[in-house]
Amino acid sequence: MSFYLTVIYSITALVSILVALLLFNLTKSSARAKIATSQKSKEGNGPDSGVAPQGQGLFDEITEIVDTRPPRDEAVKKIADIFSRELEKKVNLNTQELSRKYEGVINEAKQNEEIAWKKYKKILTLKEKTEAVLHSVAEGLVVVDSQGKVIMMNPAAEKLLGVSKKNKLGKPLLENLREEQLVSLIKGGQDQEEKEIELISQLDETKKTLRASSAVIENESGQTVGMVSVLSDITKQKELDRMKSSFVANVSHELRTPLVAIEKSLFLILEKSAGEVSPTQEEFLTIATKNLKRLSLLINDLLDLSKLEAGKLEFRPQLSSIEKIIDESIEALNNWARTKSVIIKKKITLGVPPVNVDANRIIQVLNNLIGNAIKFTPQGGTICIEVKHANENSKIQVSVEDTGLGIAKESLEKIFDKFFQASERVASDISGTGIGLSISKEIVTLHGGRIWAESEAGQGAKFKFTLPLVKDAQ
Amino acid sequence: MSNKEITVLVVDDQADFRRLTTFWLDSKGYATTAAADGKSAIELVKQKKADIIFMDLRMPVMDGVETIKEIRNIDNDIPIIVISAYVDDPKIQEAMQYKISGVFCKSKDSEEQGLSLLESVLRTHKNLKNK
Repeated sequence: MSFYLTVIYSITALVSILVALLLFNLTKSSARAKIATSQKSKEGNGPDSGVAPQGQGLFDEITEIVDTRPPRDEAVKKIADIFSRELEKKVNLNTQELSRKYEGVINEAKQNEEIAWKKYKKILTLKEKTEAVLHSVAEGLVVVDSQGKVIMMNPAAEKLLGVSKKNKLGKPLLENLREEQLVSLIKGGQDQEEKEIELISQLDETKKTLRASSAVIENESGQTVGMVSVLSDITKQKELDRMKSSFVANVSHELRTPLVAIEKSLFLILEKSAGEVSPTQEEFLTIATKNLKRLSLLINDLLDLSKLEAGKLEFRPQLSSIEKIIDESIEALNNWARTKSVIIKKKITLGVPPVNVDANRIIQVLNNLIGNAIKFTPQGGTICIEVKHANENSKIQVSVEDTGLGIAKESLEKIFDKFFQASERVASDISGTGIGLSISKEIVTLHGGRIWAESEAGQGAKFKFTLPLVKDAQ
Repeated sequence: MSNKEITVLVVDDQADFRRLTTFWLDSKGYATTAAADGKSAIELVKQKKADIIFMDLRMPVMDGVETIKEIRNIDNDIPIIVISAYVDDPKIQEAMQYKISGVFCKSKDSEEQGLSLLESVLRTHKNLKNK
């Protein structure tokens, strides 16, 4: 037994010595490895250079912990190596991903920029085109903002107004136009679309008339942001209108003189003051008289119209009863209506107040409308004249309705034009000057009323006109 | 040979002009008949009541050109003299398509000119004057 114990003790001692020796050696090689690693990391560069110090730090830390146990040195180093490698891989992966994303963003931005540039170029070209157009139109063009200050004007406008763009931009259009230069702003107030501007040219003192047609510019939400005005020189047109009116007036007067002489001569022969007349001679003289009368009616109408257009027709308005006016007109035309067995009826709303009109002129309108109705109503027809309130009692409306051929829809507007006759309405022996309705329109308009026709071909015609009521008279 | 054997049809919507023209033709020895519109004129042609026609171009309902067109479907030979209020009426050109023998302008030509036109048309058309 004691022998065995002795052997075991000796072996234990031997092993202890061997282990002590081994541990001593391990500590020495670990120190060497430490120096080598730090040197390697110092030399290291390239993509992993940022990673190494981190790995080194970890290695040091781990080494510190395990330094007390020298035999683990080698393992720790390996662990640190693996860790830093893995870390390096991860970081590389992240970097790649980031740079890929970065490139994507850059590309997108580049594309956007290109699109924007293309759009800008396009708009620039459009703008240039528009400007070129605006520059070259003969009409003057002025754009003002909501305060009425000029924000744009083309050369034609500068020329027409006799101003320079430089002095006008940012200022009200009509400011600084010299007082004597701007004679008047006629026909139409602020809210009307068309205005006439009269100017006296600075150079030769001739009067110039411009027509300004304006349109309001609205933004997307419907707010007024400015106004665009187109100016055109209508001086010549005005002059021509004036000349035409005076020509017609002169010619009409010249025509009337010989007419009267013929009329008187025929009258004397027909009266047999100049001797006996055979029945056939009488018949022809009657034809002559009748046609002469028509001619003088035509000339009178022309004269009226030219006066109306020239604004020279005098009105003598006074408070008159519309019923009396209608009665007078019916009285004048009833004989004619009776020859055709046409009945004229009237329907007047009770309590229609008197109107402030030139009674003779309104009779002229009614004679025309009722006369037309008689002309176009066949035998045995009816004509109805009606008076009622209109426009919430601010006006009265007079309508003349017949049971005649009616007027085609497309002609309804045109019938108030001079010399227009709806051909299908001109039945046998219907004599018309073709300007009666134009005159009626002028007269009604000058009274502040409106005239229009309603009809469908073959179903009779309705002519209606309104006359404003005087407020005090209501 | 008397003119009375020849009947002139006057088509005009104006009664005064119809009366004056027929009276004048009567006075020159022609027999006359008149129509106030195209439809009655066509009727008279159908009934062979006319040898020659004086036709106004501007008439309501059925104008002269339309009437002439219709008449040509019935009688391709009957001479037609167109009456017009003024010389440069575009309707004259329209009427020309349907074989017309002459144009008589109300305002320009004198009665005598009208008569000689009538005479010459009658002579050239199937020697109507000598029948």
